[in-house]
Amino acid sequence: MLKNDLILRNPLRLMGHENEAIVPQGGFGAVLARAGVGKTALIVQVALNTMLQQKNVLHVSLDDPVDKVNLWYQEVLNSLASQYHVRQIKELWESIQMHRFIMTFKVEGFSVPKLEERVKDLTEQQIFNPHMVIIDGLPFDERLRTPLEGLKTFSVNHRLHLWFTVTTHRHQTPGEDGLPVQLSAVGDLFDAAIELQPEGKKIHIRCLKGGPEASEACDQLLDPSTMLIQEP
Amino acid sequence: MATRIEKIRNIGISAHIDSGKTTLTERILFYTKRIHAIHDVKGKDGVGATMDSMELEKERGITIASAATYCEWNNHEINIIDTPGHVDFTIEVERSLRVLDGAILVLCSVGGVQSQSITVDQQMKRYKVPCIAFINKCDRSGANPFRVVAQLKDKLGHNAVALQIPVGLEADHEGIVDLVTMKAIYFNGDSGETIRVEEIPESLMGLAMEKREVLIDAATLFSDELTEAVLEEAPIPAEMLIDAVRKGTLERKITPVFMGSAYKNKAVQPLLDAVTQLLPCPADVSNQALDLDQDEAQVTLTSDAAQPTVALAFKLEDGQYGQLTYIRVYQGALKKGDTVVNVRTGRKVKIGRLVRMHANQMEDISEISAGYIGALFGVDCASGDTFTDRSVNLTMTSMYVPEPVISLAIVPKDNKAEINMSKALNRFSKEDPTFRTYVSEETGDTIISGMGELHLDVYIERMRREYNAEVTSGAPRVAYRETITRRAEFNYTHKKQTGGSGQYGRVAGYMEPVNGEEFSFVNEVSGGSIPTQFIAACEKGFRNCLPKGPKMEFPVTGVKVVINDGASHSVDSSEMAFQAAARGAFLEGYMKAAPVIHEPIMKVAVETPTEFQGGVMGSLNQRRGMIIGSQDEGPMCVIESQVPLAEMFGYSTVLRSLTQGKAQFTMEFATYRQVPQSISEEIAKKRQEEKKNVA
Repeated sequence: MLKNDLILRNPLRLMGHENEAIVPQGGFGAVLARAGVGKTALIVQVALNTMLQQKNVLHVSLDDPVDKVNLWYQEVLNSLASQYHVRQIKELWESIQMHRFIMTFKVEGFSVPKLEERVKDLTEQQIFNPHMVIIDGLPFDERLRTPLEGLKTFSVNHRLHLWFTVTTHRHQTPGEDGLPVQLSAVGDLFDAAIELQPEGKKIHIRCLKGGPEASEACDQLLDPSTMLIQEP
Repeated sequence: MATRIEKIRNIGISAHIDSGKTTLTERILFYTKRIHAIHDVKGKDGVGATMDSMELEKERGITIASAATYCEWNNHEINIIDTPGHVDFTIEVERSLRVLDGAILVLCSVGGVQSQSITVDQQMKRYKVPCIAFINKCDRSGANPFRVVAQLKDKLGHNAVALQIPVGLEADHEGIVDLVTMKAIYFNGDSGETIRVEEIPESLMGLAMEKREVLIDAATLFSDELTEAVLEEAPIPAEMLIDAVRKGTLERKITPVFMGSAYKNKAVQPLLDAVTQLLPCPADVSNQALDLDQDEAQVTLTSDAAQPTVALAFKLEDGQYGQLTYIRVYQGALKKGDTVVNVRTGRKVKIGRLVRMHANQMEDISEISAGYIGALFGVDCASGDTFTDRSVNLTMTSMYVPEPVISLAIVPKDNKAEINMSKALNRFSKEDPTFRTYVSEETGDTIISGMGELHLDVYIERMRREYNAEVTSGAPRVAYRETITRRAEFNYTHKKQTGGSGQYGRVAGYMEPVNGEEFSFVNEVSGGSIPTQFIAACEKGFRNCLPKGPKMEFPVTGVKVVINDGASHSVDSSEMAFQAAARGAFLEGYMKAAPVIHEPIMKVAVETPTEFQGGVMGSLNQRRGMIIGSQDEGPMCVIESQVPLAEMFGYSTVLRSLTQGKAQFTMEFATYRQVPQSISEEIAKKRQEEKKNVA
C-alpha cells in the first residue's frame, strides 16, 4: 500500500498526465530551468517514482559526485515521507535502493560511446539493466545535435527512455516554437519538455511539450522548501 | 667515511617484485669489491644474496626488510638501500625513499612497468627523489627494452630517454652500446668483471645514431651550451652531454634509461658510473625542516657538518643488543658521546654506540656526518622522530604511512604462546607502522592488520620462529546485532513466594522497533500499579538484556520498551524482583516481536583503472554488495558500494589479482542491515557449533 500510495503521487500524474509514460521507449524528456531552481529535485522525484515501480534508473551526473547525488535521493525521499506521513522510510529505501545506479563523469570526459561502454559493462555482467536514464548536467549548446542523435540510437537499442536536465538563462528569449533556445535545434528529438519558472516566491511547473492539450492542467507549483510538487 | 660531500651518493633500489633489485645489489657489491663471491637470491648453495640476511628471506627468495650497505666506485661513496618489491612491505620503500637522495628504478625488460613499479614511482614523486631507470633481464626470452621505455612514458609519464641500446637480446645479449661515448661495451670474465670497449657493430650503428639524436634532443632543454653546439653542428663532448642529462635528472624532468642483465653480469658497471654521474649528492638535494619556535616556518637545511645537528630516525630494529635505530643526518653531525634531543618527546638522549650497516653486519664508527646514513644503539624512539642538538628546535616531516588493508584474528595455542605473542606483537608494531594490532572490544579477538596476506603471513611465521609463539589465524568475527521488527506485548509476573520473604513483581507493556537509537525506555505506568521507586529497576532489568540478545546472544539494538501496567506486593516487591520481572518481560516480548539479525554494512570505495571496472563490480556483486554508483575520473574510476563486512575478508587479495595490483579500496562503516534468511541460518548453525565446542 505504501509504495502504491507514493506511486499514485507521481509528479507526472500530478501534472495531469494519464500515466507517467509521456516519454516512450527510445524517447527523450527534458526538465528546463535556470540554475538552482529545482531541476534535479524534480527529476529525482520522477526517478523515485520509477524505482517504486521496481524499474531501474541509471542516474548519470555530469556535475556532482556519487555521494551528492545519493544525498539528493535521500533528501527527496525524506521529504516525501514527511509529507505523506510514511514511517518506515528506512525499510522503504532499502527495498528500492537497488533500482538505482549512479554514474558520474566530468563534463569533458563524457561521450556517448563511453556511456554505452559503461552500460554494456553493467548489463553484460548482469549487474544493472536500466529502464530509464537520467542525464543531469549535460551542457546544451549548438554542438549537441550529433551526440543527442547518438543517444537516441542508444536509447532505442537498449529500450529505455532518457530524461535530461537543461539549464536555461534569464536573458534568453524562447524560440518561435515556444521552447527555450537550448532546445531549439534539437526540439524534434524530445517527446516532453517541462519548465520550472520561478515567479516571486512560487515555482511554476509548465509543460512546454508533451502531455495533455490543456496547458493549465499542467500548471503546477513546486514547493521551494521541500522541492516537492504541491498537491493541487 | 669520505669527507667530500660531492662524492657521496645515497640511493635506493626499488621496483616491482622479482625485477632483480637484490641481484643487482649483489653485483654492485661484487664489482665494488665489497663482497668477494656472488650468491643467488634463491641459489642452490642455500647461502642467499648478501642483502637478504633474514632466514625467511633466503627460504622464500623475497626481500622482506630493507637493508642498507655502502661501497665505493670511482672515488665516490655509494650508500645503498635495497628495498622489497611486494606491496605488503611498502613501508620499507616509504621510509627508504624518505631519506635517500636518488634511486634506481629497476624494470623487467619483459614485464615492463608493473603494478608496484607504479607504486614506487608515486613514492619517488612524493619525496621528489630523482631516479634513473635500469631495464634488467635483457637476457630473458621476450625482452624488449624499447617497449619498456615507451611504457615509462605512457604509464608513468616520465620523459624517459635511453642512454644505451642493447647489443643482442635474449640468449644473444652480449653487452650494450653507450650512446654518450658511442662505444660498445662487453663484459668478460667469470662474473663479468672485465670490461671490453669496442667499436659499435655495423648492424647497430643506424639505431645508435637515431637514439643518440633523441638523447641529445632531450638534453638540449637543459643546456644552452649543448643547444649551441647542436645548432653549430659541432662535435658534442661526452661531459657536456652528461652535464645536461644530469641537470635534467636532478630536476626530475628526465629519466635516463640504462639496460642490461644483472643475473648475467652485464652492464652493471656502466650503471654504477651513471649513479656517480647523474644522481645527486646530499648537497644537491634541498631538505626542509619546520621550526617549532617560529610557528612551523620552513627552514632549509645545509649539508654542513659545522651547523646544528638535525637527523631523522627512519627505521627501528629490536635485536638482542637493544633497539637499533637507523638514522639519516641532514645537517651537523652525530658523534659518540653527544647529547641530542628527541624533538617529539623532548627527552635528551646520549649517543652511545654508532654503527654503519652492511646488510646485517655492523661496523663501529665514531661519527655520522651530514649526508650519511648510519645507526645508533640504545636510543628509545619511534620511526619518524627528529633528533637535534639542543641549539635548534626543528622537526622533519615523517614518512607517509598507508592504512592497512587486511585483518586477521589470531589465537595463541596456549598461555605461554599468549605471553610470547604479546611481546612479539609489541615489537613488530613498534618496528612497522603498517602492522597494527588491537583487541576487539566486542568480540575479544586479537586482531592484526597489515598491507596484505603475505605481510601478515610473514609476521605470524616470525612470531613462531623468533618468539616461539604458535598462533592460529582466521577471519575476524563480525559484530552482528539483534533487533525486533514488529510490536509485541508482554505481561510477565515474577513470583517466588514459597514461605518467608519472597519476590513479586509484574510488568506489562509492549516493545517495538525504533530507528536511530539503541534503546529507549518509556514509563506510561499510571495509578501506581508499579511503585515509582521500582521504575528504575525495571529499566535496569530491560537494559541488562541488551548485551546478549535472546535470539543468538548478539547485542540488541533499536528497541523501544514501554511499560504501562504492572503489579506489586507490599512485602515481596523489591528492586531485585522488578529487575527479574523486567528480564522475563523482555524475553517474553522479544521472541514475539520477530527478532532478526543485523550485520554491519560497509561503504566500500574501489579506485580502479576503468578497464577493470566490470570485473570489480562483479566481484562486489558476488559479495552481496550493492553498487551505488561509479565516478569516472579519466583513466581511473571510483566504484562506490555497500558490502556486508562479513564478505570483505580477503578482498584485498582478490582485488589485487583482478586488477593486476592497480586498484585499491577503502572501507568504512555505513549502517546495519538485516541479514538474509539463509545467512541467518548459517550464523545460527555456527553459534551452536561454537557453544558445543566450548561445552
